[in-house]
Amino acid sequence: MTGKENPSPMTVPAAAPPVHSDTAAKWFILSSIAYFFIVGIIAVTIAAKFVWPELLGTIPAFSYGRLRPLHVNGMLFGWLLAADMGLVYYIVPRLCGVRLWSEKLGVATAVLWNVIILGAVVSLLAGWNQGWEYAELPMPLDVLVVVAWIMFGANIFATIASRKYAQMYVTLWYIMGTILWTAFVYLTGNFAVLFTTGVNQANLNWMYVHNAVGLIFTPVGLALAYYFIPKAGEVPLHSHKLSMIGFWSLAFVYVWTGAHHMIHGPISQWLQTIAIVFSVMLLIPVWTVVYNFIATMKGQWPQMRDNVPLKFLMSGVVFYLLTCFQGPMHSLRSVNAIVSKTDWIPGHAHMAVLGAFSFFAIAGVYYVIPRMFRRGLSSEPMATWSYWLMMVGGLGFFVTLWLGGFWQGWQWNNPSIPFIDTVVALKPVWTVRFFSGVLIFLGIVLFAYNIMATAVGASEKRTGAAAAV
Amino acid sequence: MFGKTDVSAPLFVVAALVCFLIGGLMTTVVPPLVDASWSRPFKNDDPSKGPTGVLRPYTEIELKGRAIYVREGCWYCHTQQTRTILADTVRSGWRGVNAPISTPDEFVYDSPHLFGTKRTGPDLSHVGGKYDVQWHRTHFRNPRDLVPGSVMPPFPWIANNEPEFQALVAYIQTLGRAKDWRPDHDYEQ
Ligand code: HEC
Repeated sequence: MTGKENPSPMTVPAAAPPVHSDTAAKWFILSSIAYFFIVGIIAVTIAAKFVWPELLGTIPAFSYGRLRPLHVNGMLFGWLLAADMGLVYYIVPRLCGVRLWSEKLGVATAVLWNVIILGAVVSLLAGWNQGWEYAELPMPLDVLVVVAWIMFGANIFATIASRKYAQMYVTLWYIMGTILWTAFVYLTGNFAVLFTTGVNQANLNWMYVHNAVGLIFTPVGLALAYYFIPKAGEVPLHSHKLSMIGFWSLAFVYVWTGAHHMIHGPISQWLQTIAIVFSVMLLIPVWTVVYNFIATMKGQWPQMRDNVPLKFLMSGVVFYLLTCFQGPMHSLRSVNAIVSKTDWIPGHAHMAVLGAFSFFAIAGVYYVIPRMFRRGLSSEPMATWSYWLMMVGGLGFFVTLWLGGFWQGWQWNNPSIPFIDTVVALKPVWTVRFFSGVLIFLGIVLFAYNIMATAVGASEKRTGAAAAV
Repeated sequence: MFGKTDVSAPLFVVAALVCFLIGGLMTTVVPPLVDASWSRPFKNDDPSKGPTGVLRPYTEIELKGRAIYVREGCWYCHTQQTRTILADTVRSGWRGVNAPISTPDEFVYDSPHLFGTKRTGPDLSHVGGKYDVQWHRTHFRNPRDLVPGSVMPPFPWIANNEPEFQALVAYIQTLGRAKDWRPDHDYEQ
């Protein structure tokens, strides 16, 4: 905490003298990409089940009700959170101008994390499901997650405590916020629920589900965007003040909104109203943050043409803006009566988790891998292809589900239409969704192959620029 | 105070936790204290106050069936809540009589709760007694035999396992039965 101040809080501090071994970061990132690929296969399989409901239908472990939680947990914890943690291990030492407090502890955390994910695969396929969304994993695995999170948090906080620069860049606030809030949110969703029943339990469950996105994936995703947009674009951040407003308004507003998952449902009306009011207030942090990113890119847009990390980052920013416009709108009672419980919602959720937060993480991985392994990316054209496949597949996925879901909700609100007709009406939508999913999956394959090839050194060219970091 | 948080990590930690905990406590700990219906089981014997009835705890076999419902992920496709939306009460209704809306006091014995978030299939909050055992057996064996165009998966390993099948159906038949709302009390068993 002694050391010199940064010249300005708006520039990401330059890479500092210590040489980083990045072992923990590499372990986390490479294993997360393996899960991205494997869980991608499961994702395509469950999309196919909507088109061919009998597919794998006689095998209990591969039925829809078992594969769906594996898809959700695998993508959230096996891929996205693990990739985010890996990138945090890369970013924090560089922002602090010191080495990671303990690479050994980091590697141990990565090993434990893989044990948890493999345990999750086995238990979810076996049907050991606790019955709460996002908190399906059986109790022993929940305890291990807590242990892993403490190991991760201790390592990161100890690194920050020994930093050379007094001024903490905005990315560090979001990372610290993520670590602190996740602890409470996770304990609520996985342990506090045990002592409650019925609506009381549902309320805690939704507090967890909502904040798993809002106070885990959102802040860590924004931490990445705040770091990689200026880095990849080689521009200073537009405004320090806006980043403060965005951060503290998010810190205060997000947690109040859990009950918006039960609008019109059996939960007290006044609590629904509170959740609606705060959901609309979420527009404040979102619009400040997005404005800050867009203003940072002023005059830099031509760079998007051949800078793959920037392509993913700025598309992610647009998806983030859209998702977080939809969210508050869904909470309004009139809109909710149409879209809630329909296929619109997976369209919305995939735009958040894939379109926004996974895009940020993918951008980060494309940026750090050549620097960590000190060699050029195996193939630039392949990286561009992965972007377009995920972009086109993603848009096809989101847009068809919104249209289909809206139509479905409209039909449900006319009770003279038999329910089964509303199922049959959606079949073309689910077919398009399946093919869009295939495109996304092909994008994942190219991404994963490219990164692995770079990591094992299949690249011909070694760039001096990358080696300098 | 916020001005100093970006140079002092301890100050930051305190501020971040305070911001979070205000909303956190107000929305999780306070509501059940304010709203007694979240934990008081439904009971009404006065017809002028709406449907009569009483919520009873699950029996052993019903709990076993409920665990199967959880294990097989039925709750990813089926909700259990008739919302304050007219169409919901009509769709959950029976022979032209609308179902009552779901209230918190009907769910106090539920753990895990199974309200659900997605309706790939119809809401099941009032499905108890709608169909008989034979219907369910055929339906679990292959839903498309009864409802062409259905996308519900087949569950042969339940239909062919008599104890599991009986338990699951016993549970399904409890759904929405706390309130005695059907005018002719004409439930299938
Ligand atoms: C992939 C989604 C899906 C899953 C998983 C699923 N269902 Fe269904 N379910 C449907 C659809 C679609 C229908 C409507 C067509 C039909 O009746 O088959 C339905 C209908 C039903 C009905 C008839 C409801 C009525 O009012 O007519 C019952 C009862 C039912 N499901 C129970 C279950 C149970 C129990 C499970 C778990 C063992 C389950 N479902 C799993 C999609 C699903």
